[in-house]
Amino acid sequence: MKSLILVKNLTKIYGQPPNETRALDGVSFEIKKGEFVAIIGPSGSGKSTLMHILGCLDHPTSGQYFLESQNVANLDENQLASIRNENIGFVFQFFNLLPRTSALKNVQLPMVYSNTPRAKRQERAIELLEAVGLKDKLKSTPAQLSGGQQQRVAIARALVNNPLIIFADEPTGNLDTKSSYEIMDILKKLNKGGNTIIMITHEPDIAKLSKRVITIRDGKIISDKKNRK
Amino acid sequence: MDIFETFRLAQEAIYANKLRSALTALGIIIGVAAIILLISIGSGLQSYVSAQFAKLGSNSIFIIPGKVQFGPQGGPPRSVNKLSFDIVNKLEREKSSDIQTIMPFIEISATASYRNSSKITTLAATKTDYFAMSDIRAQSGRVFSSADDRAARKVAVIGQTLAKDLYKSQDPIGQKISISKKPFLVIGVLEPQGNVGGIDVDNQVLVPLSAGRVLTGANQVNSILVKTTSTESIPQAKAQIEKILLRSLGEDDFTIMSQEQLLSSVTSILSFITIALGGIAAISLIVGGVGISNIMLVSVTERTKEIGLRKAVGARPKDILTQFLIEAIILSLTGGVIGLSLGYIGSVALSALIKTTIPLWSVFLALGFSSAVGIVFGVAPAFRASRLDPIVALRYE
Repeated sequence: MKSLILVKNLTKIYGQPPNETRALDGVSFEIKKGEFVAIIGPSGSGKSTLMHILGCLDHPTSGQYFLESQNVANLDENQLASIRNENIGFVFQFFNLLPRTSALKNVQLPMVYSNTPRAKRQERAIELLEAVGLKDKLKSTPAQLSGGQQQRVAIARALVNNPLIIFADEPTGNLDTKSSYEIMDILKKLNKGGNTIIMITHEPDIAKLSKRVITIRDGKIISDKKNRK
Repeated sequence: MDIFETFRLAQEAIYANKLRSALTALGIIIGVAAIILLISIGSGLQSYVSAQFAKLGSNSIFIIPGKVQFGPQGGPPRSVNKLSFDIVNKLEREKSSDIQTIMPFIEISATASYRNSSKITTLAATKTDYFAMSDIRAQSGRVFSSADDRAARKVAVIGQTLAKDLYKSQDPIGQKISISKKPFLVIGVLEPQGNVGGIDVDNQVLVPLSAGRVLTGANQVNSILVKTTSTESIPQAKAQIEKILLRSLGEDDFTIMSQEQLLSSVTSILSFITIALGGIAAISLIVGGVGISNIMLVSVTERTKEIGLRKAVGARPKDILTQFLIEAIILSLTGGVIGLSLGYIGSVALSALIKTTIPLWSVFLALGFSSAVGIVFGVAPAFRASRLDPIVALRYE
């Protein structure tokens, strides 16, 4: 199968010598379509930096990043914005929904920037909110939803433009155990349906629920293993 | 993102922070209302003065003492008033058939009193024709006649303000009025004429020229109004008057102006005043703009996370820039429209006291200026928002 993500010798350096920090130090790996990868590591290991570069939110200092065979390491801000819009769905630890805005409107947000017609946006948002089990919460604002429900809205939002990859940054980091497993169930189901998911976590229990675990420490990959079923 | 979507977004953001938006727009509201109000006062003055001159007819020539120049070298006449009654008589004797009427004016400030009340007023002495020519009528009683003038009768016609202040509820007609301590008889009260640019036109007393001359003891007139038979005969009449005057006066001792020349000079001075008034009010609009800038910066900081999220899901810097810019423009333009309405209401209310008119250009000026303020003062916060790094913005607490 063709690789969806191919990174070669990815390096990210913050600051100027001699006070430089190597957040990523020569990272290389490949992710194929349909995988469910957990990137795990302690805080300060470089996993967030890796996620930002993979999510086209940041540029690497050096190295190559091919997303569907396109080298995206040196694209400008506008090009990265449209790649994020069309190919990437984000799920964040703190949900990051727009306050005072209904679930329906929140889910539509990425489609606003892809110039999707209003009627179509509405239809698609309702469809996805139903899929994550929030059919009766369309008009609710984030303040009226529980953490787990908010994260489900965020997942619906991530899916709205049919992205190539879903990036989940500590998706259960702010949830209780029950909600955490509910969210993981949704992610697993999405993966079964063919979605590629890359998840960052520091919880081994959560990482176990994925198919492949990449462990990172001090900016380097120290292990890359498939989970046994 | 299309422009309608951006508008809807901006509207939602403004609506979500109603109180703050209202306070932000307040600076613009006050600024625009002040501009409209001050310009309406200025141009009310302008149209009143123009109308007064126009009433005299286009066949009028004005002779005033001293060399008056409008424009950069302009200023009040510096020389002594040499327009004497001898000159007036000379003009009367030698006038050509082009000239219909010669009407001298004496105008001074005087104290008018009745019993215990007294008031400083404008005393104007002129000929009877003045009333017909400027379309001023008596509301009660009568204006003075040519016979009154010939006999130098000490009769006076007074304005509304003077009538009210001196005689209270009493009917002034048939009562005595003392002007500069000389007794006169009130024979008429004029129709109300209103207040122009803060000057109360109803605070005046008119007496026949002959009586005025005796009263002031002056041998000079303040101005002479000459009516010609037609507008076409103005140039010949002007030339003739100049010739007569130059025989006894120097070139710098008088100014002759046709109604048209005077009107355009006065209009240009008054429009300068109007624009100056508007300019002063415009300063408050700039202060309002700084308010918008300030609130937008707060709003950008407050919505850092939102901006980060928008960028993460695909907003380009340009999308964020337009979103915040349009928000600023809507705020200032809405403020402009509200200010315009308030200014309009204010000017209508004020028209009970002084004459006001709102010229159309001031409406466009106020709206154009307020949206310009929105753009100018919205750019900096909007640009700042558009440059935010999505990663930093998403982490912002």
